[in-house]
Amino acid sequence: MTPRPLSLLCELTYRCNLQCPYCYNPLALREYGDELSTHDWIRVLEQAAGLGVVQAHFSGGEPTLRRDLAELIGAASRLGLYTNLITQGTFLADELLERLLDAGLDHIQISIQAPEAALADRIAGTQVHEKKVDALLRVRDREVALTLNCVLHRLNHDAIADVIAFADSLGIRRLELANVQFYGWAYRNRGALMPTLQQVRHGEKIVEAARERLRGKMEIVYVLPDYFEEYPKPCMNGWGSQFITVGPNGRVLPCPAAGAISTLQFENVRDRELGEIWRDSHSFQAYRGTSWMSDPCRTCERREIDWGGCRCQAFLLTGDAGATDPACSLSPAHALIVTHREGEETEFVARRP
Amino acid sequence: MNPEARLQFGKGIKLRRDLDGSTMLLVPEGALMLNRPAAAALELVDGERTLGEIVAAVVERFEVAPEQAREDLNALFDRLAERGFIR
Repeated sequence: MTPRPLSLLCELTYRCNLQCPYCYNPLALREYGDELSTHDWIRVLEQAAGLGVVQAHFSGGEPTLRRDLAELIGAASRLGLYTNLITQGTFLADELLERLLDAGLDHIQISIQAPEAALADRIAGTQVHEKKVDALLRVRDREVALTLNCVLHRLNHDAIADVIAFADSLGIRRLELANVQFYGWAYRNRGALMPTLQQVRHGEKIVEAARERLRGKMEIVYVLPDYFEEYPKPCMNGWGSQFITVGPNGRVLPCPAAGAISTLQFENVRDRELGEIWRDSHSFQAYRGTSWMSDPCRTCERREIDWGGCRCQAFLLTGDAGATDPACSLSPAHALIVTHREGEETEFVARRP
Repeated sequence: MNPEARLQFGKGIKLRRDLDGSTMLLVPEGALMLNRPAAAALELVDGERTLGEIVAAVVERFEVAPEQAREDLNALFDRLAERGFIR
């Protein structure tokens, strides 16, 4: 039986005024200029709600660059979907914030690059940190849930305790500390962004202690650095199991990074109904469940815990999207991970169109 | 958690009932599937009722072992409060 999708990620645009080198968006950003219309997006939301989706995430690129954002959030909200905006916050003026909240927005995730302006602005490639802090303070005081997100990598990992203190000083209730995952621009910049083993182990201790200290006051979500773990992440809780991503151009992906898998053809909401794509398309069926697995996953007792790890990472590193994620210590290709645990002393390349 | 506390949902926390009768708590970037007593308890969260009233109402309605049910529901509300889903 085809599982019920629970979550729809709407990547409204890949446009962004920031240049973060850890972005997971594809390198060829210019190929995504042909964006879906408002009408298309509303149809996608209706079809998703009909499939049983309960949450709509609006992301990008920078989703607030779409002039129809409030309209789309309103449509999702009227369909009974929980609405989540994932933004870097630099365009969140009071006037826009007001319209988004009136439309029924439930949750906002705002990202910072570092806990202080000099490093944050260096990573973002432009002066934005003060604007983000201003947005955080204004959102905090409104009737909407707020998560502060910071992507961790070699350039800011040593500041992890300062990020937590920064969040605490602002009265943030939910903090996501996400170790960089290597896709898109982040994969391009892997050498410069790879944290050191010492940073990773130190970071774990800091987070563990902070969780204990701030229990009941702040929830800390910690996204593990999969290059340093024994087992891979259960990517998307299994391919085609709960998550649907629709890209700016209407392409439907089982995972936001799946567009990189050149051996699969992904279908488009411009051509086909979302439910048909979810149920019947080759791309969604290819790695659904466990029957596609080969060894060592096929007989592994963790096969329904890890789901083979990440298909996109398997493809990026081995050229075979059906291989065990090399992040797994049981993968025959695990050396492809181990040899990259040591980053290179290189400068990163800023994200650009 | 104080049994006299009047309970309300935290910011951005929503209860969703589906046509098939299943209930889930929608939270930032997640959804918690609720069993029937938990769903019944959360449906009574309205900013007016106290924890004690809610627990008593659910225990009576489900006619389950009262001590165990009270314990389970108090533990549930403690967990939800710790994560800011109930305030």
